[in-house]
Amino acid sequence: MKSHGTKILLSALKYIAIGIFVLWVLIPVAWVVSLAFKPYAEWRVSYFVPKNFTWNNFIVLFKSEAFVGIMGATAIVEPVTKPLINSLAVTSLSTIIAVMIGFFTAYGASRYNTPGPFGLFFTLLTRMLPPATFVTPIMVYYSNLRLLDTHFGLIILYSAVTVTYGIWILKGFIDAIPIEWEEAAMLEGATPIKTLFKVVLPIARPGLVVAGLFIFLLTWTELLFALVLTNVYAVTLPVHISKYVGAVGQLYGPQAALALIGSIIPIAIGYAIQKHLVTGFTFGMVRG
Amino acid sequence: MPEKPPREIKYLATLPVNILLNAVLIIPFAIMIYLAFLKWSPAMGMNWWEAPIIGLTNFARALGDARFIAALSRTALYTVSVVAIEFFLGLALAYIMLGDFVGKKAAIAITIYPLMLPPVVVATIFYLMFQSYGPVNNLFLKAIMGEEALRIYWFLKPDTAFITLLIADIWQWTPFMFLIMYSALSAVPKRLVEAAEVLGASSFTIFWRVRLPLIKPLIIVALVLRGLEAFKMFDYAFIMTGGGPGTTTETVSMYIYRTAILYTDISYAAAMSLIILAMIIIVVRAFIWYFFERGR
Amino acid sequence: MGEVSKSRRLFLTALGTTIVGIGIGYAIGYLSKPAEIVEKTITSTATKTVTVTPGVTPPPIGLSGAATRALEGVRDLLNRGVITPGTTIKILHVAGSRAQLEKAIELWRQYVPEVNVELITLGQEPDVYTKAMAEAVTKAGTFDIVTIFSTWLGDIVEAGLAKSLDEYYAKYDPEYTGPCAPIEPLGSYVTIYKGKRYSVVLDSDVFTLSYRKDLIENPIYKSEFRAQYGKDLKVPDTWEDLIDMAEFFYNKNLTAPSGGRVYGAYFYAEPAFAAYITWLNIFIEAGGIPFDLETMDPRVDTPEGRYAFDIMLRLKPYMPPEAITAGWADLYDKFIKGETVFTAAWPSLTKEAMRPTSLVKDVAGSALLPGVVVDGKLIRAAPNPVNWVGVVSNYSRYPELSYLFLQFATAPDIGLDVILSGVILDLFRECWFKDPAYRPKSAEGYGEEFIDVYMESLRISFPDILIRGGPEYLSKLTTEVNSVMAGIKDPEVALSDVSAEWDSITRKYGVDTQLEAWRGLAQLFPDDVKDVWRAKGYMK
Repeated sequence: MKSHGTKILLSALKYIAIGIFVLWVLIPVAWVVSLAFKPYAEWRVSYFVPKNFTWNNFIVLFKSEAFVGIMGATAIVEPVTKPLINSLAVTSLSTIIAVMIGFFTAYGASRYNTPGPFGLFFTLLTRMLPPATFVTPIMVYYSNLRLLDTHFGLIILYSAVTVTYGIWILKGFIDAIPIEWEEAAMLEGATPIKTLFKVVLPIARPGLVVAGLFIFLLTWTELLFALVLTNVYAVTLPVHISKYVGAVGQLYGPQAALALIGSIIPIAIGYAIQKHLVTGFTFGMVRG
Repeated sequence: MPEKPPREIKYLATLPVNILLNAVLIIPFAIMIYLAFLKWSPAMGMNWWEAPIIGLTNFARALGDARFIAALSRTALYTVSVVAIEFFLGLALAYIMLGDFVGKKAAIAITIYPLMLPPVVVATIFYLMFQSYGPVNNLFLKAIMGEEALRIYWFLKPDTAFITLLIADIWQWTPFMFLIMYSALSAVPKRLVEAAEVLGASSFTIFWRVRLPLIKPLIIVALVLRGLEAFKMFDYAFIMTGGGPGTTTETVSMYIYRTAILYTDISYAAAMSLIILAMIIIVVRAFIWYFFERGR
Repeated sequence: MGEVSKSRRLFLTALGTTIVGIGIGYAIGYLSKPAEIVEKTITSTATKTVTVTPGVTPPPIGLSGAATRALEGVRDLLNRGVITPGTTIKILHVAGSRAQLEKAIELWRQYVPEVNVELITLGQEPDVYTKAMAEAVTKAGTFDIVTIFSTWLGDIVEAGLAKSLDEYYAKYDPEYTGPCAPIEPLGSYVTIYKGKRYSVVLDSDVFTLSYRKDLIENPIYKSEFRAQYGKDLKVPDTWEDLIDMAEFFYNKNLTAPSGGRVYGAYFYAEPAFAAYITWLNIFIEAGGIPFDLETMDPRVDTPEGRYAFDIMLRLKPYMPPEAITAGWADLYDKFIKGETVFTAAWPSLTKEAMRPTSLVKDVAGSALLPGVVVDGKLIRAAPNPVNWVGVVSNYSRYPELSYLFLQFATAPDIGLDVILSGVILDLFRECWFKDPAYRPKSAEGYGEEFIDVYMESLRISFPDILIRGGPEYLSKLTTEVNSVMAGIKDPEVALSDVSAEWDSITRKYGVDTQLEAWRGLAQLFPDDVKDVWRAKGYMK
């Protein structure tokens, strides 16, 4: 066994490594925070702490007239409440759909190879295309279906392009679950569906959580499709951030402020689900 | 397990995903494929279904387009670099953070924070930070290098501009690899690890021979997914460098975007997208076959 | 089960689910769209059964002719039942112009409360272009009016989105002739494409030279400069003079009010969009012509093209590196902080420099851009990049009404109020500079010195290459200019690359149609430039 000294050294190194990484993450985050509290004159500087601390960038998000006195009548946009709600609704719903459908599909793929060798691979196609060319065809399609600028249209689009994440991540997790558990359950007379929900689902929870979190984040921050497919009603948060442009270019302050507000919900989710990232069960011995 | 799935499972596992993907994506995708064989742009004033079909001309043109090829190889280099770095960093971090320690919940929350910001915002932040008036030169590098640091112009030279893009990507996406590796590593059965420890294996051996092989499927998944996304990178290049200087940091996604939107050359952009699609399919298929299926 | 029947089953399943999926999608999409359409039908039925709009409102007193005619036109449409009360028209525009458009709407509602105007606001300009071109394809009627850059005019017209406005110009007379007309040649070249009117002027975007007056007028510097260079330190007449002055100030290593270093000059050379502006400016002043008027061959690989690069490269050492790498807003930021001696940008730079928070508030001067001496004569030409104009959509249900809104919003009196309410739309009518009824307001918004300079700049302004493919021509030029400035390419190679690229764009659309558009545009260039072209034999 290791000596006591070595253990302490390793422990210290571990904390130092984590500390360095946390610092590396925090520096740009600190920049976002500092921008959110800086006036226009201090957006292009090298120091972090604002010399003229201001709440204006946040006020502007809800009452855009707050900028008029400072920078002239530019960047008057609607308050941010509607896009926040839109984003929340669209992202939550499409995440749930993508994760659930992904779960079912992954189960079939893992246990029974249902889609066949090509079927599963083709779901990856949705992530392989640079979106720029896809934009016009989907606009044409949606405009014919009258789905432009609707929440429903966005939700099904986001579900469709993220379901592949659900499938592949969950397949990875389900693959690692020993089959014996399901076989045992079915031997005891449980129907396949019941087995799916009562045996597999709980064990695969970390996979659901990881896939769900990642799909949520992808959708929460998606810009291109939201930009093209929404006008007034279904505008989401990233699109709204892009509207803060004035006569002097991008309004970094309000954009940073909105990004901070927009990150509260995901980070709250991220913090809360942490315990689900770890499997609660301990498995039996080696399989296969 | 029986070879044939029970009917309910089969429907559950195929119908929802089929309906979703087919209803939403098949027709636009078909339109896009059709567009690639046309000579059409909206500025030509005719409807796209009336435009002349020119077969493979767009594809031939793409293969001979130096700017396209350059963007392609540059993006490939970019992808391999960031995915490799993010993978090792993410894996190392996940391993280090496995056990319990003081402030673990906070540390993990902070670690995954970069994923919460829209890539455009991250790009803007790094754009501001790497300017000659920004903190990278004036605070951090100056502390290390002194006055020399003030003469580095990150966006002026192709190499340094490229590095800024790498840094932005690594900053934002290492947490993704970390997340997957972390939950994968935590899913390794404790019994196995304990058994190995009892048998006297060192930590390293445990890691290399017990943990790693068990999470291999998820590693592959993570690498493929991240690789696909990295290849499509657009926001960092667009906002930080504008593709510059010249076109030396223009990713293939950016070139296609410019072609489709700015040059209204949608048919050509569609052809380029299809070429990329074909290439990616081949690479990913080979990758998966090699790591997933060969070993069985 | 055999392999064949298995795949057939698979195929049928896929096909079936596709059809089912589409059917469901269509049904749900149709049902979930906000029910505006239904409402409108009800409103119009209701109005038809009730007596026609209550009384004819007397024409408003004291408004300009253009505004009055526009309002009378709307009244007429209402009375004839062509449009009904409660009609809404939608304008697609960019966030920066929101304040000004809202002012226009506010004034509109005072006279025509029956017609609603809704704004669809987008953040970035390329988004407006994307949505406009998408509308040209989908023809969905998403908006009635769209504000576009004049650079996109060719594309938008050829894509079939822009409605031809000649008949409305003739019927309602927006005052494009006479003492209050938009200053020529700008009034023509941003609205006319292939001989017809397709847009309404909303804005002007002519570049002027901005400079730090305190430095130029400093007596010590004046005598030092005279000693070193043998000429006077004043607003430069030529680019050569400007280079000398930029060198002079750069070498002095002065400190700006912001604490940063003072650079001699800052002219656009950045890769995303603006590098072409500086190059094209010098090129045109030197007597260059972008395309041959007989063959549509690009004529950039010429002495004039090389001269433009020569000047820009000689300016480079005295410019900050951000001129080559940062976005266009960086130029504004540096000048406002006092870190640049000479710079050129849109009128908004002058306005920003005048703000209380600007560090060059009282020392920012404006002048005409330097010119080039051609055959003994000083030729000055000012670029007019982008420039917002209003276009009526061909797929709008209320084209005449939409046009009338535009005429109202840009009328001599209303238009000035609109422009002064915001930042990105700027002056364009001659009476706003000269007529004592309007001039004081303009001077208050822009400064006395500036509006005289600006009026002159408008007269010598030239358009972007706004024929079809304009954004592409200019984008490719920008990339090449930026490559040269970054030191990655030789000017010679860059010029021949631009020629090749421009040529392939022309061929993509057809030489004849491009030539027709270019010939029309070339006629609208300022007289000085056309004289030089004639002298050089480029133009007949």
